[in-house]
Amino acid sequence: MVVNSRYARAFPWVLACLVLMARPVHAVQVHAAPEGLYAHQLSHVFFAFSMALLVYWLRQRQLVKQPGWRLIQYAAILFVLWNLDSMLAHYLDGRSNLYAKIDEASLHGRITLLKGPEALVLLYYLSRMDHLLSVPAMALLFLGLRLLLRDQPISPRQGSDP
Amino acid sequence: MTLPLYPIWMVDLIGSAASIVLAYLSLQLARRLRDRDLNNVVWTYLVWVCAVLLVFAVSRSVGHFGKRFLILSGRSDLWEAIKPFSGSMNTIAFMLVASITLFFERSWRIYQKILSDRQVIQDGHRRLVELNRNLESLVAKRTQELSVSESKFRRVFELSPDMILLTDVDGRILDMNPAGLSMLGYTDRRQELQNVGLRDLFVREDDWEGVLANLEKEVALAGMEVELKRVNGTIFSGLLSAAVERATDGSIATIHFLLKDISLRKSMERQLLQADKLASIGQLASGIAHEINNPLSMILGYTQLLLRSEEPDTQRWADLRIVEKHAKNCKAIVGDLLSFSRSTRTNRESARIHDVLEEVFSVVRNHFEADGVKIEARFDPDMPLLTLDVGKMKQVAMNLLMNAKQAIGKQGTIKVDTRYAPDLRMATVRVTDDGCGIDPDILSRIFDPFFTTKGTGEGTGLGLSVSYGIIKGHGGEILVESEPGVGTTFSVLLPVDTETASKS
Repeated sequence: MVVNSRYARAFPWVLACLVLMARPVHAVQVHAAPEGLYAHQLSHVFFAFSMALLVYWLRQRQLVKQPGWRLIQYAAILFVLWNLDSMLAHYLDGRSNLYAKIDEASLHGRITLLKGPEALVLLYYLSRMDHLLSVPAMALLFLGLRLLLRDQPISPRQGSDP
Repeated sequence: MTLPLYPIWMVDLIGSAASIVLAYLSLQLARRLRDRDLNNVVWTYLVWVCAVLLVFAVSRSVGHFGKRFLILSGRSDLWEAIKPFSGSMNTIAFMLVASITLFFERSWRIYQKILSDRQVIQDGHRRLVELNRNLESLVAKRTQELSVSESKFRRVFELSPDMILLTDVDGRILDMNPAGLSMLGYTDRRQELQNVGLRDLFVREDDWEGVLANLEKEVALAGMEVELKRVNGTIFSGLLSAAVERATDGSIATIHFLLKDISLRKSMERQLLQADKLASIGQLASGIAHEINNPLSMILGYTQLLLRSEEPDTQRWADLRIVEKHAKNCKAIVGDLLSFSRSTRTNRESARIHDVLEEVFSVVRNHFEADGVKIEARFDPDMPLLTLDVGKMKQVAMNLLMNAKQAIGKQGTIKVDTRYAPDLRMATVRVTDDGCGIDPDILSRIFDPFFTTKGTGEGTGLGLSVSYGIIKGHGGEILVESEPGVGTTFSVLLPVDTETASKS
C-alpha cells in the first residue's frame, strides 16, 4: 500500500502532541498517580522474572559451560538483584514519613531518619545506589558478548548452534 | 541518623555514564555477532536486548542528569513534568527486555528445530549427491560393459560363418547377419528382406509349423535338418537351432535362429557313399573279370585255331568268325571292368596333359564339327608335367568328350579348360558341355558299371566307370556338376608330383 509521504511524515508529530497535551478525560477510565508506580514496579517484577528465566534456560541447555554465556548468566543474576533493589528503593521512596531529605536542591543535601530503626535509612540509602548492581551487570554482559564473539567462527551467512 | 546525599548522586552520575557506554559497546558486539550469522536467532535476541538496554540507559541517564541539573537550578517543577516520561520509558524498556526474553525461549526452540531439520536436509542432500555421483559412475561403468558386450555380440553376429537371424512369431525376418544373406544369395539386407518371411524360405512347408510346435513345447530347438531355397531357386541343406524370447505375458516375442550350411558335408557324405559303393562294385567286377578272363581267352584261342583250319567263305568259317567277334567283345568288356577296378597294369610316365588332350581333339574334332559341335580349349600355361598313363588318360578324355558330344547331339560347344593350383598341388581338367544335362535322380549312379541312358547296343555303360577307375588309379578325383537343360561339367582332379613338376 502506498502511503502519502507528507501524511506519513506528519503522523509522529501529531501523535507526540496528543501525548504531551493529555488531560484527564472523564469519558474514559481515570488513572490516578499510583498506577504509574505500580506499572513500573510490575515491569521490574517482569524484568526480574525474565532474567531469572534466562538463567534457568541457560543452565538447562548447559550453555553456561561456555565462558561467554557463563558471564551473561552472571549479568542476568545481577539484573535480577538490581530489579529487586530498585523495587525496594521505589517502595521506600513512597514512605516519606520515615525520613526527610534536607537541602536536596543544593550540593550539601542530606537524608535524616524521622522514625523507625536506623537500619531502614541505611537500607534506603544503599538501595538508592542501584548502579552498583546495574553497571557490573552491564559490564558482565559486555564481557560475555566479547567472549562469544571471540569463540564464534567467522562464517557469515551460516546458521550455527549457539 | 543523617547521611549525605552526594555519594548517591555520584554513583548515579558515574553509573549512568558507564551504563550508556557499556550498553553501546554491548550493542556493537551483539551486532557483530549477528553479522557473522544472520540466521542465528540468539544473536538477534542479544542485539534486541542490548538495544533496549541502551534505550533504558540513555533514558535513565537523562533522568539522573536532568533531575540533578533542574533541581540544582531551582526548576524542580520542570523535573516533575519530565519525570513521568523518563519513568515510562524505563518501564517500557523493562517490559521489552522481559518480553523479548520470554518470546525468545520459544523462538529458540523453533530455531533449534529449524537447525536440526536443516541438518537432516543437508545430510539428505549430501547423501543424494553421493548417491547421484555413485549412480553416475555406476551407469558409466554399466554403459561401458554394455558397449563391450554389444560390440562382442555384434562381432559374433557380423562375422559368424553361420546364418544368424531374428524373426517375429509370424516368421517375419527382423534381422539377419551377412553370412545368412550370402547363404541365401541376397545382396542388400534392408531392401530385400523387407517382405521375406522365414517360412517362405523352407522347401518343405510343414517345416515352419514343426519349428513353431517345437518352440511352443520347449524353450529351444537344436539340430533340426531343413532344406532352404536360395533367392535363385537353388536348394541347400542346413542344420537349424532356435531359441525363443518371450514377452511378459508369456507369448513368443522374437525367435533367434542359427543355421549351419551343411550342403558341403552332405555332398561329401554322398561322395563317400558313392566311392564306397564303387569300390565294392569294383571289387566284385574285378573278381568276376578275372574268373571270366581265362575261360574267355581259351574260347578265343580255340576259335582262332579252328578258323585257321577252315576254308574261308564256308558256313563254319562264318560261324567261327561270329564266335570270335563276340569273344573279343567280351574280352574288351572284361578289360574295361579290370580298368574300372584298377586291376590292370599302368604304364606311367611324365607327360603333358595338354599334349594328351590335343591328341584326342585331333582324333574327334572333324567328327564333332561335322555335327556342329565345337571344341573350345583354354589351357593354363603354368600347368606342370604330370605323372600319367598316357594311353589310359587318352581313354578318359575320349570318354568325357564322347559323353559331352552325345549330351549335346547337334550344334553346341564343348569347353575344355585346365587349371593348376600350386598351393593345392592339384591339376584340374574341366569338360563342360551345353547339352541336355543329367537328371538329379540318376546323378549318383552315372559312375556305376553298366549304367547307361543310351539305347541297347549304343553303349555298354562302362565309359564313366572305366574313367573313374583310371582317375582313381592316378590318385585323383572325378566330379560332376549338372543342371538339366543347362549342361554338365566333369572335373578331373589330378595330383601333381613335386618331383615331376620341378622337371618342367
